[in-house]
Amino acid sequence: MAASFPTIAARRFCYGLKPRETPPSDINSLMLQLQKGSKAVPRFPREGALGRRETLGRLVSVRTVEERAAQDGRPNPALRQETQREAERLLRRDALSRVAQAVYSENGFFERLASFWVNHFAVNATATYEMRLLAPLLETEAIRPNLAASFADLLKAAVLHPAMLIYLDQASSVGPQSPVAERSGGALNQSLAQELLRVHSLGDQAEFSAADINGAALILTGLSLDPRSLEVSNRPGRAEPGSHVLLGKSYSDRARNGSDHLEMLTDLANHPATARNICNKLVRHFISEDVNHDMLDGMIQRWQASGGNLTEVYRAMLEHPAAFAPEASKVVAPFEFVVSALRAFDVKGGEFDALVNADDDRDGDDVPPPDGKVAPRRKPGVARLLTLQSLRRMGQPVWEPPSPAGFPDDAASWLLPGQFAERVAWARMAVRLLVSDVAPLTLLDMVLADLVSAQTRELIAAAPSKVHGLTMVLTSPQFNRR
Amino acid sequence: MAAHTGFLLKRRGFLASIGALGASSVLPKVSLSATAGDRRLVVILLRGGMDGVDLVQPYGDPNFALLRPELALTPATGLTDLNGFFGLHPAASGLMPLWRAGHLSFAHAIASPYRGRVSHFDAQDVIETGNPVGSGSRTGWLNRALAVIPRTASRAAVDITTSVELIMTGGNKTDVWATQSDFPMAPDEIRSLQTLLQTDPVFDKAGAGMSGLDPLPQIVNSQARTAGVAELARLAGSLLAEDYRVASFSLAGWDTHRDQKRDFTESARLLSEAVLNLQAGMGEAAWQQTAVVAITEFGRTLRLNSTAGTDHGTASAALLAGGAIAGGRILCDWSGLAEGQLFDGRDLAPTRDIRELLAALLFQQFDITATNLNAKVFPGLGFEPSSLFIKMN
Repeated sequence: MAASFPTIAARRFCYGLKPRETPPSDINSLMLQLQKGSKAVPRFPREGALGRRETLGRLVSVRTVEERAAQDGRPNPALRQETQREAERLLRRDALSRVAQAVYSENGFFERLASFWVNHFAVNATATYEMRLLAPLLETEAIRPNLAASFADLLKAAVLHPAMLIYLDQASSVGPQSPVAERSGGALNQSLAQELLRVHSLGDQAEFSAADINGAALILTGLSLDPRSLEVSNRPGRAEPGSHVLLGKSYSDRARNGSDHLEMLTDLANHPATARNICNKLVRHFISEDVNHDMLDGMIQRWQASGGNLTEVYRAMLEHPAAFAPEASKVVAPFEFVVSALRAFDVKGGEFDALVNADDDRDGDDVPPPDGKVAPRRKPGVARLLTLQSLRRMGQPVWEPPSPAGFPDDAASWLLPGQFAERVAWARMAVRLLVSDVAPLTLLDMVLADLVSAQTRELIAAAPSKVHGLTMVLTSPQFNRR
Repeated sequence: MAAHTGFLLKRRGFLASIGALGASSVLPKVSLSATAGDRRLVVILLRGGMDGVDLVQPYGDPNFALLRPELALTPATGLTDLNGFFGLHPAASGLMPLWRAGHLSFAHAIASPYRGRVSHFDAQDVIETGNPVGSGSRTGWLNRALAVIPRTASRAAVDITTSVELIMTGGNKTDVWATQSDFPMAPDEIRSLQTLLQTDPVFDKAGAGMSGLDPLPQIVNSQARTAGVAELARLAGSLLAEDYRVASFSLAGWDTHRDQKRDFTESARLLSEAVLNLQAGMGEAAWQQTAVVAITEFGRTLRLNSTAGTDHGTASAALLAGGAIAGGRILCDWSGLAEGQLFDGRDLAPTRDIRELLAALLFQQFDITATNLNAKVFPGLGFEPSSLFIKMN
């Protein structure tokens, strides 16, 4: 059967079809989701961005006081543990909210892009204590409001966010000949500079040298954090004096007001290699690992013509005929897999929300699978089991990428037999926990609509039971490709 | 057919056959001190289409070995004789102590009203709703039965699964208890999934690689499955030992389109394990008051297909166990395996409606009236207390 535009749009560019939600009918309706999504307030942090700043200030100051007391020989381990648990609880709530955001948002294209950019500007929420509270904030404050704007704005917002500065150790970087280094030592840290060039802007296919990374690191000196508020601050005492060269251009420290790094970020955003790197990554993420060069060239041209306006770049991608080609060549990653299945299961509306609410305020470690004399659906922790714990087992825990380069984005990385076994296990569990009396072919039509092949339908119809038939819908190659 | 007289009950009912056997040990063991509210019912759904003539083989029928020489056994080749005509599959021989104690019987040549052979989904709906395809409500017969059990204490029902299955779905309260949520797949489930994965080389490779991993993933680990089935049955037993009086769970693994010899052996062994663990989990006092029935959606073809398996058929067998049943019986009007006796020339012909067996158990265990059984539980059935399946004690 010929696949229609709405089905491909929902599966390839959003988080899949959902009962009672109208899939995008044309490119303009996808683009409209961008506008709506940029203005919407996401479900995390639960207390809002400002509230989170307050929480952060409170917890950091409590821990600072405790640390000082400990240095004076009066440690308070209970207080330390309490603040640790609090941060872990908040992260867990936010991560569950991130899944719910993807499940319930009607701006699927925006949500997919948010995930794309969160992975591009990857930080790990468990890297430090503060990161548990800051990683969700990076997405809320820096990524989401800027992902439909110019790339330069997005780059600056993400790279200059406290979460990024902590994760890539910028806060500890000191110019080797700066006053601070002269006075009390300290060393240059190149992590942010390296990821900035290698991942965030030019990309690892571009030509740049170790000297360029060093130059960028020197330009970034002085950019730091206020240790109390964790707000970004310029600390001129750490800045390396003199001029520093990146890609043949000299950046001076001028009035030491920190503007040199902003100039560098603007230049990197506008560099041709950056346009190619980002456009290539978008195509590989949304369309195919086998990049269509005509599509890529069109996007780069639009990037250049619009001064890096991302909305225009996305539009150029969608307007290329290959964007809606019938071949589904991408294998969905675990987060997409889980979210699109949860969307399909939200038959009456709000079922997953109810599970998330039942999960609230539960403390402690991972929840074991329902066992013993336990009525599983009534047990708190099912939402966490079906999302956070399962995503970890499948290899894509929320906000915990393995490196600053983010999670991989190719089929080979997600379809090792052990990972696929986790997908099958998840499908069996989700079907048993969430579905009651739904015919497998009904679910198949729900998730794939006019994409269902006659072969897939026939093989699922022959399943030895409904539970297994439903499991097969979710583990079918067709559901796992988009 | 003199060979038939030993088991053919011809609606004479249990009392006659018990008398015929003349063994007082097979008399129902319901002690006088036990109250009606102690009686229990367990329904095991054998999903996939259990081959009744493989589990309970009519080795005394000369046509049997001719129809399926590859599978047909005799007592000389490992079959466990039951009554001189029927024998039990060797993989289920762990049940023989129950048979000897009068706690095990089989109903044979029975089927639900479903005659389509095509869809497991539809056929399982029929044995769960008790209604022919497309008719009646989408509620389970076991749930509807709860409402007409005279004693409210006997209505405590539990589904041993992670969600309510159709057989227990409906307006009456049922609880759900689970053992584990990542229950391993049965061989037929693995095979049907792999057939689907073969439509895409990348997924085929991922799926095929699962069974080569060390450690083996839980979902394809047959040892874990054995342990899981035992645990599930034990849990059901322990719940029934307490307040629950009605329980249900499913055993997959019966859709033996390929390599039946191997896969059926595993499934029959697991069924045997399940019954024995149910008994162990329950304890002797509760077991004495219990009737267990294991039913399936359809039987299978008598002849093997080209992949050493059997395809969907019609009549099958049901297992009955527990202290509350009259044991040591093969309850049936045997339809025969001669060419003209087969259903559509290929399947065991059904002579009894599976719902009659279920109604008889509800009648006997919970004193649900025939009127209620025929009007509310199995609308239009026409069950009579003189049924073959009533033990008449």
